[in-house]
Amino acid sequence: MSDAAKNTTDIRPGTVGAISLAKNTTEVRPGSADAISLANTRPMLELQGVHTAYGSIEALKGVDLHINQGEIIALLGANGAGKTTTLCSITGLTPPKAGRVIFEGEDIRGARTESLVKKGLIMVPEGRRIFPGLTVLENLKMGAYISDDQKSVKDDLEHIFNLFPILATRSKQSGGTLSGGEQQMLAISRSLMGRPRMLLLDEPSLGLAPIIIKNIFETIEAINKESGVTILLVEQNAHLALQLAHRAYIMTTGVITLSGTASELLNDESVKQAYLGG
Amino acid sequence: MSSNTPKMSAKSRIHAEVRASLAAALWFCFLAFPLMTLSIRPGNAVAFSIARIPYLFAAVFLLTVLWRFFLRRRSFKNVSKAVLESEGLPEDLRPGPKPSWVSVFMSSKYRSHMVAFLLLAVSVIPFVSSPYVVNVMVVALIYVALGLGLNVVVGVSGLLNLGYVAFYAMGAYTYALLNQYLGWGFWVCLPLGALTATLMGLLLGLPVIRLSGDYLAIVTLSFGEITRLVLTNLNITHGPRGIGNIDPPGFFGIDLNGSVKTFLVQRLNVHPDMNVNKIYIYFIILAIVVLTIICVFRLENSRLGRAWLAMREDEIACQAMGINRTRAKLTAFALGSTWAGLAGVVFASHITFINPASFSFLESIMILSIVVLGGMGSIPGVILGAVVLIILPEQLRFFSQYRMLLFGALMVLMMVFRPGGLIQSTREVYIHRGGSRKNAPVPEAAPNRGGRS
Repeated sequence: MSDAAKNTTDIRPGTVGAISLAKNTTEVRPGSADAISLANTRPMLELQGVHTAYGSIEALKGVDLHINQGEIIALLGANGAGKTTTLCSITGLTPPKAGRVIFEGEDIRGARTESLVKKGLIMVPEGRRIFPGLTVLENLKMGAYISDDQKSVKDDLEHIFNLFPILATRSKQSGGTLSGGEQQMLAISRSLMGRPRMLLLDEPSLGLAPIIIKNIFETIEAINKESGVTILLVEQNAHLALQLAHRAYIMTTGVITLSGTASELLNDESVKQAYLGG
Repeated sequence: MSSNTPKMSAKSRIHAEVRASLAAALWFCFLAFPLMTLSIRPGNAVAFSIARIPYLFAAVFLLTVLWRFFLRRRSFKNVSKAVLESEGLPEDLRPGPKPSWVSVFMSSKYRSHMVAFLLLAVSVIPFVSSPYVVNVMVVALIYVALGLGLNVVVGVSGLLNLGYVAFYAMGAYTYALLNQYLGWGFWVCLPLGALTATLMGLLLGLPVIRLSGDYLAIVTLSFGEITRLVLTNLNITHGPRGIGNIDPPGFFGIDLNGSVKTFLVQRLNVHPDMNVNKIYIYFIILAIVVLTIICVFRLENSRLGRAWLAMREDEIACQAMGINRTRAKLTAFALGSTWAGLAGVVFASHITFINPASFSFLESIMILSIVVLGGMGSIPGVILGAVVLIILPEQLRFFSQYRMLLFGALMVLMMVFRPGGLIQSTREVYIHRGGSRKNAPVPEAAPNRGGRS
């Protein structure tokens, strides 16, 4: 890993990234022309020494990471590295044994998943997990389960149908009859219905054709840019994820082994060899 | 069924079918060999006769051929339907769930007329029929209430509860005990019985709420058995001897079998042997059923109902939607138990004598069968299921000792040819098993396989 002071250019046009090695020292604000040091700003979500275990098997051995408001962060790694467990540790599906999970200044370790939804921290689980027996419309309405305001739900639905016109045509069909790509769109849309401020996406490219993945990733970028939703993206597809993300963390067997701006990691020799196919 | 490909010639297909049927017949004869050939003659002499085997073989062969014919026809229909849906139509015209005839009827403009007519028809029954019919109808209606209650737990929320009868027993024993020892009346005990069952549902729900699927089934099954054993061994319940002479529901302190009966028999031509209390109970349980239907219908379309549906479909996704899984499960469990309690109180007042044998595991299975046979999650389905399952065995009495055998065979046939139940819940018509992992939008050949995945 190169040293923390060196500046590199991001591959995203119009964006100049800065390197962040030690957490909370130098930080990149997305979309800004200059690298701004945000040493004194609190990150939106922060993990400090998170340990999570399945029985006696320790899946996370002290994970530290942080995400600032408005960022897209990619969490990369091989199968079994602990990416999904990290997400589940944040959302409380697998409560961590030790460490701190701080969302907007509040320790949410061990909080119930559903209470986090109300705080605006919403997860799109791995494998999409739409409700196959409910119609597309019912799926979307289920996403707005926490909302009491029928009017805003209606507005959100309209917004979603503009974003994904295909979902409007299929709104009466049951979720299980959609294709994989449509299901992923539905899963993301469903989470948007909850009006998230931070979205946790678990492998949105799973089992999809490259063209569909491109489509999905463009949508993720749009959600981030237009609605200002902060995004934590777990991915196997390192190349694509690094093109989308502002910064990235790389996990190996339960610990973060590398972190930095996306462009830096794209050019890093060891990352190239391990995740980008040389 | 590999022989489904249309490329195969008709002749070779028939050959394959016959071969398979022959194999099935042979296998069945092998299984039934000791049963059919050995018999005990008077004087404990064991006789061996092989004469019946050929008949058995022929019968099983014929049945298998018929069976396979219908199965093939069914899967062929499904495949052609699926092909039509995925290719023949433009995408936005792909049909949504095909509504069942009942739902078409119920959603049409005649719906209120239909409901009124049905209610009128059911209200007239006790005045024009025999005491026997009223008795059977009361039992059937009790099972409708039970089925609708269990439907909330199993059909809508997808929690397999095999100990449902325990809550039914709670209701019945609440009334029986309070009536026996304190002389409390039916109308006081009806809400108390429901409350007891609800509380027990909550109490059982709290520890088992983490479990799902098979584990939940086993725990609830054990709970049902424990309840029965406790009732058998408690002194206060008179153990297996049960509690008798339970009062019928009070009607403003009037003895219904007195002047009211004379009036009914003379003026309305009611059957002279009729116990008017039974008519009264009939209307009470009818009212409870109507109330249940309204409640369940409104619940299903409420926020809580949607949470239940989501929970049945996918627990993790349901949490990711911000649904409190524990609360959703507990309410489903407790509300389902409430109706069992209500039905239990009515049951106790109806048969006036209860003992633990009325609340065996078989009873749980019966109620579950009503839900599954009728159609999980479908209100009209459950009603029809209860009526069929309670009245059919009565009608089959004609076949005397083969009654239950026939009944079982009918159930098996039902599940093979209509696995979604008599009246399927319209939502579930195109359920995909593990659909989220599939990329192809083509529906499976047999898409309707119940709600839980």
